[in-house]
Amino acid sequence: MFDYTPFYICCMELLYRLDDINEVAADVLKAFGERNVIAFSGEMGSGKTTLIHAVCRQLGVKGNMGSPTFSIINEYEGERGPVFHIDLYRCRDEEEAIRAGVEDCIYSGCLCLVEWPEKAPSLFPEETIRVSLTEKDEGRRKISVT
Amino acid sequence: MPVKILAIESSCDETAASVCVDGKILSNVIANQTVHAQYGGVVPELASRAHMQNIVPVVDAALKKASVSLKELNAIAFTKSPGLIGSLLVGSQFAKSLALSLDIPVIGVHHMQAHVLANLIDEPRPAFPFLCLTVSGGHTQIVQCKSPSDLVVIGETLDDAAGEAFDKSAKLLGLPYPGGPLIDTYAAKGVARFNFPEPQIPGLDFSFSGLKTAILYFIRDNEAKDKNFLQQNINDICASIQSRIVSILLNKLKRAADQTGIREICVAGGVSANSGLRSSLTGMGIREKWNTYIPAFQYCTDNAAMIAITGYFKFLNKEFDELDVRISARADF
Repeated sequence: MFDYTPFYICCMELLYRLDDINEVAADVLKAFGERNVIAFSGEMGSGKTTLIHAVCRQLGVKGNMGSPTFSIINEYEGERGPVFHIDLYRCRDEEEAIRAGVEDCIYSGCLCLVEWPEKAPSLFPEETIRVSLTEKDEGRRKISVT
Repeated sequence: MPVKILAIESSCDETAASVCVDGKILSNVIANQTVHAQYGGVVPELASRAHMQNIVPVVDAALKKASVSLKELNAIAFTKSPGLIGSLLVGSQFAKSLALSLDIPVIGVHHMQAHVLANLIDEPRPAFPFLCLTVSGGHTQIVQCKSPSDLVVIGETLDDAAGEAFDKSAKLLGLPYPGGPLIDTYAAKGVARFNFPEPQIPGLDFSFSGLKTAILYFIRDNEAKDKNFLQQNINDICASIQSRIVSILLNKLKRAADQTGIREICVAGGVSANSGLRSSLTGMGIREKWNTYIPAFQYCTDNAAMIAITGYFKFLNKEFDELDVRISARADF
């Protein structure tokens, strides 16, 4: 008999190139399951914003999305409801992020795709899905979802 | 009776106020929040707190400098979007409260429209219709302007803004904040001999995220071969990055001019201070037989004079707002 736990999150690792980003985004989205807070880590230039844009396209977000580095929170309209694209790059700590309205988004029940989670680590619920991006050799990225 | 407008701008980290009379700017006062440099960027909470401290003295100074009293004002214009919510809130609440107490109308102004219309503050002014490339830390757009109330965004960035591309490139090079102006400084001493790719984005939209990644690889690969590579080639690297950002901007601007047939070409926003962009624009303008315009620098960075001139045009069109007009972090024109 197998003991199956529905909350078990599989660790997923993918290698991809920019050309495959739509397929990868679809796979990553499936891995989210019912969870709605997703933290994206990776150094500058590793492709966090680009991957999030591709995930948002899979969610049916239309139109221009841009980078939330300046605005901190971008809100998009997806087919299953609002999607918050958050970038904590300019926040110093939790308090700053809270005052910018980030906590309200994270606990709103809406899907939140968050870049630079390291800036305010204690803000994230335990069930946060962690996506980390590392660039391998020229043009290839490794993505791991836990 | 002359039309006297007080304008307030508080969308990001500058608290600014301006008074214009019949479209002529009589004062343009800015309290800059230098506190951000030590944190490596604009800090939203510090920004809104500083706006609260600055707004009364800044408005007072703008009125005094223009020799206009509160009683003489016909309307109050303020930035309603886009920007940091906490910052916008301070300016909008102040404007609404003051307008209510004076029993005069408020005029909510879109910050990005105002950047474009800053070109109409001083001579030489572009003739309608004109194109404006607006480049700043948070925005990159090409706007077609047929009249002060007919502005259409025909191209914009799909990811990072041009100013963000400068600042983040500088961060990748290990330069201190704000890195954009430093890249310009180093670039002036260097030669653009390294080739960073130009993204192939259809239409008039921009993308700068690929450049960031290209810089990341470039530094990593070269540092692996030579530890001192970055240090020894910083001028040439900066010149190469700057040259690529500028060519991404101007190639799209040229495409927009070709598509629309418009030859009146403006550049606005804080990145217009970049010397590489200015000289390349001048060169392209001569080759393409454009008339090119860049507003005075004080009207290119975030300022209230551009809010005042936009408020003036809206006043003439009787485009007033109710006191319950809402601010928003992101909004289309």
